[in-house]
Amino acid sequence: MQSLLDPVVLNAISGLDLVAATVVDGFIAGLHRSADFGFSQEFAEYRAYAPGDDLRHVDWNVYARSDRAYIKRFHGETNSQLMLLVDASSSMGFASHAVSKLAYVRFIAAALAYMATRRQRDATGLLVFGDTVRDFVPPASRQGHLQRVLAALVAAQPQANTSYAAPLLHLQSFLRRRGMVVVLSDFYAPPADIIRAVAPLRVHGNEVVLFQVLDPEELRPRVDGSSMLIDLETGAELEVSEDYVQGRYRERIDAHVAALRLEARRSGIGYQLMQTDQPLDQALMQYLRLRTGRD
Amino acid sequence: MGWLAPGFLLGALTIAVPVWLHLLKRSASRPRQFSSLMLFEPQQRSTTRRRRIDHWLLLLLRVAVLLLIAVAFAEPYVRGHLPGVAPEKLLVLAVDDSFSMRAGTRLEDARRAALAVVAAKPRDTRAQVVALGSQAVVLTEQLQDAAALASAVRHVAATDGRGSLVLLAGLARTLAAGTHMPIELHLFSDMQATELPPDFSELRLPAGVTLVLHRVGAAATPNWTVETVAAPAQVWDPAKTRIIATVAGFGTPEATRSVVLLINGRPSGQQVIKVPPSGRASVVFAGPDIPYGLVRGTVQIDSADALSADDRYDFVIERSERVHGLFVHQGSDQATGLYFHSALQSAADAAVVLDEVTTEQLRNRDLSSYAFVVLSDLANLSPAVEARLTDWVNSGGRLLISAGTAAAQQQRIPVFDARIIGSHDYTRDEIRFAAVAAVDEAYAPAGTLAGWQGIRFFYVTRVEAPAAQTGLRLADQSPLLLEKPLGKGRVLLFTSGFDRLTTDLPLHPQFVAFVDRLANYLSGRTLRSSALSVGDAVDLRPDPAVRGSADVLAPDGSHPLDLKQAQQVRTWPLPAAGFYTLTLADSRHDLVAANISRLESDLTPASDDKLKLWQAASQAPQAVPAGTASAPPPAAVAAEESTHNLWWYAMCLLLVAVVTESVVSSRYLNTLRESS
Repeated sequence: MQSLLDPVVLNAISGLDLVAATVVDGFIAGLHRSADFGFSQEFAEYRAYAPGDDLRHVDWNVYARSDRAYIKRFHGETNSQLMLLVDASSSMGFASHAVSKLAYVRFIAAALAYMATRRQRDATGLLVFGDTVRDFVPPASRQGHLQRVLAALVAAQPQANTSYAAPLLHLQSFLRRRGMVVVLSDFYAPPADIIRAVAPLRVHGNEVVLFQVLDPEELRPRVDGSSMLIDLETGAELEVSEDYVQGRYRERIDAHVAALRLEARRSGIGYQLMQTDQPLDQALMQYLRLRTGRD
Repeated sequence: MGWLAPGFLLGALTIAVPVWLHLLKRSASRPRQFSSLMLFEPQQRSTTRRRRIDHWLLLLLRVAVLLLIAVAFAEPYVRGHLPGVAPEKLLVLAVDDSFSMRAGTRLEDARRAALAVVAAKPRDTRAQVVALGSQAVVLTEQLQDAAALASAVRHVAATDGRGSLVLLAGLARTLAAGTHMPIELHLFSDMQATELPPDFSELRLPAGVTLVLHRVGAAATPNWTVETVAAPAQVWDPAKTRIIATVAGFGTPEATRSVVLLINGRPSGQQVIKVPPSGRASVVFAGPDIPYGLVRGTVQIDSADALSADDRYDFVIERSERVHGLFVHQGSDQATGLYFHSALQSAADAAVVLDEVTTEQLRNRDLSSYAFVVLSDLANLSPAVEARLTDWVNSGGRLLISAGTAAAQQQRIPVFDARIIGSHDYTRDEIRFAAVAAVDEAYAPAGTLAGWQGIRFFYVTRVEAPAAQTGLRLADQSPLLLEKPLGKGRVLLFTSGFDRLTTDLPLHPQFVAFVDRLANYLSGRTLRSSALSVGDAVDLRPDPAVRGSADVLAPDGSHPLDLKQAQQVRTWPLPAAGFYTLTLADSRHDLVAANISRLESDLTPASDDKLKLWQAASQAPQAVPAGTASAPPPAAVAAEESTHNLWWYAMCLLLVAVVTESVVSSRYLNTLRESS
């Protein structure tokens, strides 16, 4: 079952919903054999009905006895909203093997959306951005909403540069409920700037987690002799030598990743580095940790 | 701008090699897309950019190296002066060392003027010294060393040769062909009028040669000379000998000159004559006492002019006994012998006594006392007589056979041993006669083709003699005069006759000359001149087949031929005036007299107009006043259009490009090393 989380295997599946179902079901099946995580809907509390609450969650038995409407709440329903921010800039189109970074992000986002919607009954939203907001699906948990999210993911294509400030500012106006914000990007920007842009999402008690998706070639590039590199976003050209790439560049990319992780931790933001050749369970595990408050 | 060897420009195509290599190298580092270059350091960017610049710089430098190699080999040149560069040129100093330069201080003045030019020569300008007499003798290489050049100039000595400015023009053409730079040709000479050829086109100098004339010597110097001596080369009767000497004066007043004839150094006669102003007078010495053998004769005048060496004229006379020849004819033919005998008697210097016999009388005649035998017509020649004649020829005798008309009745030519294939009577043809059409002028009896013009032959006998040498041939290619060796002797066949029936040759003056040549050839006497001029060549090997050692005894008692020359040299030019005793390769001895060309005795200088014309013809505009020596004016030099070869500049640029390429490529490799 673990093989179903292999990105290469998933890449061969055409339907993103099937990918999500395959990933999550496989992942959950693995969790049931684990002692670390329980996954059930245990009763937590009653809460007075407030206008806007879903009437399906009203405990009608209590209402009949007390003539008061209460909402029955369960564990796992405390974070009721998942917002997925997907970077679809040009750099996300990079791929050194069959799975590009954007494809990998689609898998993660689809799996998280599927898990949140189908398993946790959380409202799930999607924001696709580059240098501007290119697509936005407001958070919702209605039936069929998952398909809308997945369709937006499928429609996302790598183009334009990356800008975190404008899209995240746009998102802040929609975050009225406490929830989880997952930012999926390669984060090619100064870590301080990234955190400065992401930190405001933590208003209303939102949990923010950064999934830095990188291709293995970006972490450990292979260059024979000297190579001419072209920046996917700016088009700039640069000739680099093999020795530089294997030495100085690795130091700098490692430092960049470490700095981003450190800055995120300092700001109370979750961080997870994902490589496009790795299984997706790390992303789901991270999601569950945050959701259960174990992180 | 042009190219001396434009074919080498094809070598520029090799620039495709570095271009291809660089492009190949660039294609090997094919551009790759990468997510972001944010993490690449700015220093790395600049280093890489510099390296790319180095790439292009390397490519350009390598292309430049190949281009410059091709350009250097193609030898580019430009006409005119390079800006800021003094025109490079070759100085050629031609010092006249002909006989006339012996007059007064002419040679010393010429040397002094040449030394002044050498002293004024820029240090890095190359120069060459040439002595110009009867031949142009290059005394030095093209040198910058002024001391060596001055030494060569000081060693120029006057000769007995005749100067000719045509030689100078030829030298200039040779130098211009081998030197790709302007030539400044300085001539130091008395500029005799006689040194100029009548046709100035012979003096035209090639482009790039500037002529600078340095005239030395007085404008006119009086000079008397024994201009010519007419003396027979061979005499057998001194009482009939007349020696005529002509005394000439050039630029001279009327004067009385004493003329002395010396035979073997001893006075044999003396006369006094009056020579008109700048005129000539002749004196005749009749019946001088001439001993047997080769005699040294000299006609000498008394004069106290600037040139004493031309006051004498040497000549050689050979006194010998007459040789005897035998003319054999048929008894009925009296005319042929008469014609032949009369022709021999008419020859000016014929030394042959001709006996006439009939064919029948030949049987009892002793042939050993005859130098040659002539057989006229071949009607009745008995085998015994033919055998005697053959034996005589084999032992060294020389036989002339005139076929005549009787040969047509024979099957073969006796002694000559050639099959008779027929006869041709031209009177039956439409044109009635045949003329001589081909003459082997190297064959002494044949003479020249011009001499045979107008002579008609009516009848010839045709023979088959493939091994014989043909001296004369008729228009229908029939041989007229043939020769073949037989033992130690020779046999000549005249396929026509010496009568008026077969030819009209006896009616022409050519008959006398032809018979004289035949008689001299048959008697083994060589035609010789009584006097030669300095520079004339003597033949030391009259018969090239004879291999032997020759020798020359010069007037000063020296033997100028070394051992190798004595074995190999065929002709040898007489370098100075005087008597030369020759030992020919066939061991015969000879004596020749060499005299200075009397053209050198006329010291009248060439007119300024002619010299200006020469300079104009050589496209050198500057004129030098007579009696002065001057360098070409700066304006003339500035106006001069010369050719500059730029290969040296191409080589310098090539060196710079190679060094720069080495530096850049080294820096490029260092950059790679540092980055690693």
